[in-house]
Amino acid sequence: MAGPLYIADNEGAVLTVALDGLSVLFHQPSGMTHIVAPPAPEILAALQAGPADAPELLRRLRALYDFEGDEAEDALHARLDELEAAGLVRRA
Amino acid sequence: MSGTDKDQAGGSAFVPSRRTVLVLGAAAASTVVTVRPALAQAAGSVMNCEIPVPGPHAGGQYIAADGNLVAPGTAGAAPPLPRALKGEEVKALLRNGTTPAGTDPTSAQAYANYIRRLQSGMSGFTCYASLQARP
Amino acid sequence: MRHRLDIQIGPVAFRIGSAWKAPLDALEHLYASYPAPEDGLADFTVRLEPERPWRRFIRPSVAIKGDYVLADAAPVSLAHGLLAAEMGMNLQMALGQKRYLLLHAATVEKDGRALIMTGESGAGKSTLAALLGERGWRLMGDEFALLDMASGRLLPFPRAVSLKNKAIAVMEAEVAANRFGPRLDGTPKGAIRHMRPNADAIARMGEGATPALILFPRFGEAEAVRGVGAAEVFMRLTQASTNYVALGREGFDALNRLIAANPALAIDYPDTDSAVGMVEDFWRARAA
Repeated sequence: MAGPLYIADNEGAVLTVALDGLSVLFHQPSGMTHIVAPPAPEILAALQAGPADAPELLRRLRALYDFEGDEAEDALHARLDELEAAGLVRRA
Repeated sequence: MSGTDKDQAGGSAFVPSRRTVLVLGAAAASTVVTVRPALAQAAGSVMNCEIPVPGPHAGGQYIAADGNLVAPGTAGAAPPLPRALKGEEVKALLRNGTTPAGTDPTSAQAYANYIRRLQSGMSGFTCYASLQARP
Repeated sequence: MRHRLDIQIGPVAFRIGSAWKAPLDALEHLYASYPAPEDGLADFTVRLEPERPWRRFIRPSVAIKGDYVLADAAPVSLAHGLLAAEMGMNLQMALGQKRYLLLHAATVEKDGRALIMTGESGAGKSTLAALLGERGWRLMGDEFALLDMASGRLLPFPRAVSLKNKAIAVMEAEVAANRFGPRLDGTPKGAIRHMRPNADAIARMGEGATPALILFPRFGEAEAVRGVGAAEVFMRLTQASTNYVALGREGFDALNRLIAANPALAIDYPDTDSAVGMVEDFWRARAA
């Protein structure tokens, strides 16, 4: 059963400043500022290649990073929920 | 970073032999904090505020233990307070469970839950929001 | 309204109207020697009104109104009318100021550079700023720091300093009696007494300063200091700003520039003398 497809705005829509381990993001369409920790910026970057469901997103991230532990999918879903609540990610 | 240099078409590329670990975090973790409008710190010097319990919209309804409005006289529900609670009283109620002067201790929890459920636009919300971040 | 007073404070002109004369008399004394706004134009209006028409005379009760109002604000007794006027001015700034990024902070200046002290109410920053203002620093403000987003400079906003409880005696020992307003007991915060900034602060209220150091002071602990990471500074400053969100991208950029350019320290201090000592040490170290 296919899960939802997630979309992030084009990188140009979000101003990012890295500050000691966290990033502050200004999302121009909404005017809102978010303070985010990894893996949020990495997820947003991975979505630049186009909409993806959670398994596809996990594949894109695995190509670049290693994960610890077995709960990658659960964790990814939690992160996507947070990003969606903040308006940084939405469903296609 | 350790690694080997590889020649590739178009130039050399440095390939790290150890990749970065990306911590996805626990399911319950919080990695995104949205900056909200903050009247709180300035409001400390601005407001001497009050929260009517319940607000004027309630029309005489009582307050159930979970803070919801119920029909007057419902068993176990707290009656409307005759006077609005001052900011400092609300703070003491929410932080320590201190019963406001002149109110029934058994109703304190209902009043506290009513206040916690206040939404933007409801009478007393700004006051409640301003109390949140104060020490 | 029946009575009216116009005051210029830094770049902001206030018009305060009142149904009663007494609060404006007290305000006029507190702000003696402040200029009147040019051309008589006001940026913000505060109105001290009776809660109900008869409350002008019977158990007089002052409702704080103006260009911007807070629906939940409780009225204030006439005896505390001066406090109502001050709260009214705070409210206009907190809700209406869009030209400058506002930080809930005390600022003092030396040699053209500014020290920003911010934190929770009761952390002691007002008292610290007031003391430094009498010890060779210029008080720019004890309540709101005004950041000009384009230039990154801080503008003065030298309102009367709001001293609470023990801090009152501290400043009474340092400053001439005629610089104080009446002592107001029984406010929700305890005793309050307002203090006029000194002549230097008033004369130079048009003179900005470049930020140099951000401090998060905390009163009541043994002396301690730690550096504060940029992300934490960002978080705390947005929490200390009433208008950050409304200012959008300009606010984001200005706040990031402020943080990138200035070190931030959290200090604990057991008493004001210790705090003043720490501040002077850090200031020397920063300039070295």
